[in-house]
Amino acid sequence: MEKEWLEHGFNMNRRRFLSTMSLGLGSVALGSLLVPDLFSGLGLGEDGLPEGVAHFAPKAKRVIYLFQNGAPAQQELFDYKPKLREMQGQEIPPSVRGTQRLTGMTAFQSSFPLVGSFIDFKPYGQSQAWISDLLPYTARIADDICIIRSMYTEAINHDPALTFLQTGAQQGNRPSMGSWLSYGLGNENKNLPAFTVLLSRGVGNGQGVYSKLWSNGFLDSVHQGVQFSNGEDPVLYLRDGMSRQDRRVMLDQLEQLNSEAYREFGDPEILARVRQYEMAYRMQTEVPEVMDLSKEPDSIVKLYGPDCLVPGTFAANCLLARKLSEKGVRFVQLYHQGWDQHGNLPFEIRSQAKDVDQASAALVTDLKQQGLLDETLVIWGGEFGRTSYTQGKLTADNYGRDHHPRCFTIWMAGGGVKPGIVYGETDDFGYNIAKDPVHVHDFHATVLHLLGLNHEKLVFKHLGRRYRLTDVAGKVVDGILS
Amino acid sequence: MHPRLRQAAAQGLIVLDIFVCFLLLFADRLVLPYWLQPVGRMHLMLLHFPLVLLGIAVWLPLLGLGKDNAQSVSFVRFGRAFLWTGTWLAGLTVVMGLFLSREDGYAGDALTRHRWTGALLFFAASMLYLVSGKVWSRKIWTSVSALSITGLLLVTGHYGATLTHGDGFILQPIVREMNTKPVSIDQAVVYADIIQPILERKCVTCHNPNKYKGELLLTDSMGLLKGGKTGPLFVPGDSRASLMMERIHLPIGDEKHMPPEGNAQLTSAEITLLSLWIDHGIGFQKKLVSLPEDDSLRVMAAAYFMPVTDSSSLFDFPAADEALITRLTTADRNISHVSRQSPALEVSIYRRDGYGVKQLEELMDIRQQVVTLKLNKLPVGDDDLKVIGRFENLRRLELNFSDITDRGLRELTVLKQLRTLSLSGTRVTYEGLKQVLPSFRSVHSITLWNTVLSTQDVSGLRQAFPGIDIVGGSGYEGKDTLTLNPPQVKNSTLVFRDSVAVQLAHPVRGAEIRYTLDGSAPDSLRSPVFRNAIQIAGNTRIMARAYKSGWYGSEVVQFDFLKNAIVPDSLRLLYPLNNVHLAAGAQTFFDTKLGVFGANNPAWANFWAGARKNDMGLVCFFNKPVSLSTFGLHYMVEEETGIHPPEVIEVWGGADEQSLKRIATIRPERPVKKEKLLKIAEASFPARMVSCLKIIAKPPLDRKSKQPRLILVDEMFLN
Repeated sequence: MEKEWLEHGFNMNRRRFLSTMSLGLGSVALGSLLVPDLFSGLGLGEDGLPEGVAHFAPKAKRVIYLFQNGAPAQQELFDYKPKLREMQGQEIPPSVRGTQRLTGMTAFQSSFPLVGSFIDFKPYGQSQAWISDLLPYTARIADDICIIRSMYTEAINHDPALTFLQTGAQQGNRPSMGSWLSYGLGNENKNLPAFTVLLSRGVGNGQGVYSKLWSNGFLDSVHQGVQFSNGEDPVLYLRDGMSRQDRRVMLDQLEQLNSEAYREFGDPEILARVRQYEMAYRMQTEVPEVMDLSKEPDSIVKLYGPDCLVPGTFAANCLLARKLSEKGVRFVQLYHQGWDQHGNLPFEIRSQAKDVDQASAALVTDLKQQGLLDETLVIWGGEFGRTSYTQGKLTADNYGRDHHPRCFTIWMAGGGVKPGIVYGETDDFGYNIAKDPVHVHDFHATVLHLLGLNHEKLVFKHLGRRYRLTDVAGKVVDGILS
Repeated sequence: MHPRLRQAAAQGLIVLDIFVCFLLLFADRLVLPYWLQPVGRMHLMLLHFPLVLLGIAVWLPLLGLGKDNAQSVSFVRFGRAFLWTGTWLAGLTVVMGLFLSREDGYAGDALTRHRWTGALLFFAASMLYLVSGKVWSRKIWTSVSALSITGLLLVTGHYGATLTHGDGFILQPIVREMNTKPVSIDQAVVYADIIQPILERKCVTCHNPNKYKGELLLTDSMGLLKGGKTGPLFVPGDSRASLMMERIHLPIGDEKHMPPEGNAQLTSAEITLLSLWIDHGIGFQKKLVSLPEDDSLRVMAAAYFMPVTDSSSLFDFPAADEALITRLTTADRNISHVSRQSPALEVSIYRRDGYGVKQLEELMDIRQQVVTLKLNKLPVGDDDLKVIGRFENLRRLELNFSDITDRGLRELTVLKQLRTLSLSGTRVTYEGLKQVLPSFRSVHSITLWNTVLSTQDVSGLRQAFPGIDIVGGSGYEGKDTLTLNPPQVKNSTLVFRDSVAVQLAHPVRGAEIRYTLDGSAPDSLRSPVFRNAIQIAGNTRIMARAYKSGWYGSEVVQFDFLKNAIVPDSLRLLYPLNNVHLAAGAQTFFDTKLGVFGANNPAWANFWAGARKNDMGLVCFFNKPVSLSTFGLHYMVEEETGIHPPEVIEVWGGADEQSLKRIATIRPERPVKKEKLLKIAEASFPARMVSCLKIIAKPPLDRKSKQPRLILVDEMFLN
């Protein structure tokens, strides 16, 4: 026996070992016939299911996100706090303020006097939701919207907070919500991008928006948000004087060159570019129909307000958002700048609210009257809240509010959200959440859920780890689902 | 055995080991061709061979065959042959098992455990074979390997059995495990899905046709109604008087207490459910959702069910062929699955120009699967609805702004599943709807905004068809009087050279623009109406306002048209501009682009030229001498943000750069309060011929710190 083992040992010299291993490699090759995507890595999502199809039957098919950039003060719009008026000018109790860190703008302030809203509130709708007199049109749709008063975030400055709300991470370089949806659900209309972005600006103190907010991050570039210009021509060079046929020939030739480049370099971005050329080509057929306002009835102009005919305004973008959405664009992201009222709040917020109130409400009404609201999720809100104490000097008719991450108000409508309810509560000072907190991750999980996606399964593997919009947290807020 | 053969055997085993390793690594991504699936299924047959062979092989050396036997070469070879065969078959079984696991219906912890223990068994056995020559002769190793291989065989076999026969298969006859059927709450029947399962769990072990204790059968409704030896079980509607509840509520020690002492007792929730069911009158067919929402029975029972699954996502038709779906999908016609694993399809057709009924006819092969059809804003006519009527499972149909009329609607009454119908912006009428709506039995919601129907018509329909959610307009249409937005100027710039045709416009169709040229506010009666372009030749302030009936007039808006008759042929900056406010360099001053307020505005960021540390100095050259009599410079003041008016502006002129003489000096006023200003600093002087012009604007010094302050300037006006 010993002899045999020795013999075997000699037989299994290095060469033989390698030849056996090569047999083993043969077996691997045989096995790889059964794993068609072994080397391509395309086609199946991380959960092994085909991409571009909802995980379960969705309530919402599309999203329109009316982002109020700069953080609107909840105390003047949706979160009625009579206590603040009662205690006007008094110091905020330390027990309320707790250990909340402050921004560099108020950190050195020696006193933190409470300030109540300059504007009155009234209860509206079946839920008797308190809405301020600054939003008379929003008040009319109280029965269609779900007001969430208990949103909270982690960031205290605009850029990280905005990035957090859009991408689920404060640092950037992650895919935006719209990109995740484009990745998870694909295009509904192949002639239009799945994710588009529209910008507008109010007169109030503004904060920048950057293209990183609609970045595809590590996802394929086709999922990037397409920004429409806010001038007369939302998409430039639609009519470029070239015939469709010439353009087709040109693109076909270009595609050949690009395919050759792809074969040589293997960069997937080349393929993404080819697809984007094709998308642009198809957009030339669809976009003029989308942009054509002449077929909209006059009542639509009255509904949105006459500014909806002035390109680049929030109202025009709301109308455009409806037109894009009804044409199957999955995610239309609006940003309206100018909500950063550190000072001069009573004056600025009045015009900011006037800018957006009528058109925001009109969008919900318009979708409803065309039977589209049940499939379209409308979201309205900023990146964080504002403080219940004043920033700077408190005078008889003027004050400001600093950034406040602990609570803020947003509203949602349609798309499987319970209409006509108020969810969550803040304390009497409007400073801390008293009931049903909703973290940014929870918000994302809920939006994905409404769109038929399990936030824990919508994953993408990148740099050795699996990424989600909700990172490693988030739970669906059942209380707002219809 | 021949050594070469033995060597090949060992190699073959290693090859199989690697193959199994590979398959395990990519187990989740295997895609099997159909012809390989039978191989996978043979797993169930083949597995018995390695089970027995490996068992024998590992125990053989330990069997009491005597020391001599154990050491004899032929005996060892015999054992190794057994081991090799068993191991090979184990490997094949693992491969087949991995194939089989790709078929539907295999998932979960049991599968994972079975897979890994099975693989471990195979690896352990092959390891044993490869080293057996060396160590198997020692009894301790023989025992360890025998025990571990046997242990693995048992564990693997157990999980395998769990996969095939279900959890708790072996003990099932003894402990009757309740298998909850996945019934969604809206389908649940109170008796069948709540009450009977309780009885199954706690009572039928004794009260079944085989045991029949107390002559009571609790396996079906007949037995329940009949009762047992003592009499009927229930007084319908009165749980307190019912025998069943009496027995349940007896003290547990009592001989007649049910279930008998020592058996699994009813929980208090189960007791409450039973008594509520009796109080409700012992119904056998009643659905849970037919009870009022706040009913105790409904509330309690609801906890037994999974969250509501939307019944709209449950379909019983087969899925369509994927290749067919791909073939039918075009750029203008999107076909998508409602969700994964759902056979239901959603079809949207876009682009008005490309629409034809053919696009619907082509879908006939998938007409069973289409549940949603979106045809908004397409020229869909009444005849096309005949085709749509053939989509038998259609639940949602969107026809907003299509060309259909009442006549076409009748074609849709054949759609028995239709729930949502959008007809906004179509030519349907009140009478038409009134006739056809009774035939739409399943429809929940209809949208009728922007049709000829009046508000009264819509509320009339709502009253006549309370089951249908009828969506009209916002209810505010025509009630609000809004303020028009101000008129706009269509000219690309307000700066002109000799004369200009001013174009005013208003975005709202039919709005009338009235204007003045004398600086007075326009009104709706006397001021001229803008029709054709207004020709102007000098600096002009146009005040304009828009009017339209049904609207409030707009605010007054003013446009200052500014004349710059003389444009230099070349320009040169004398000193660098502030590096934040470079604008377009020297060109800034004659590019007809006026800066505005607001740091967020591109016209603020890009059009203002700034200077702080040094003067702003510009030299203008003219190829031919020009006659100059006025000079103007546009500047901005916003002291709050540190932007101040120039301290002094000097205008120098002459034939060339060397012979310049000062023509004018302007000292712009400093604003009294901290106000924001856009102004033109102007100077007039007797006309003079110049070929060269130099303009200097000096930043002011702060009164306290003596540091220079920022100035922002842009257009110059030479006339």
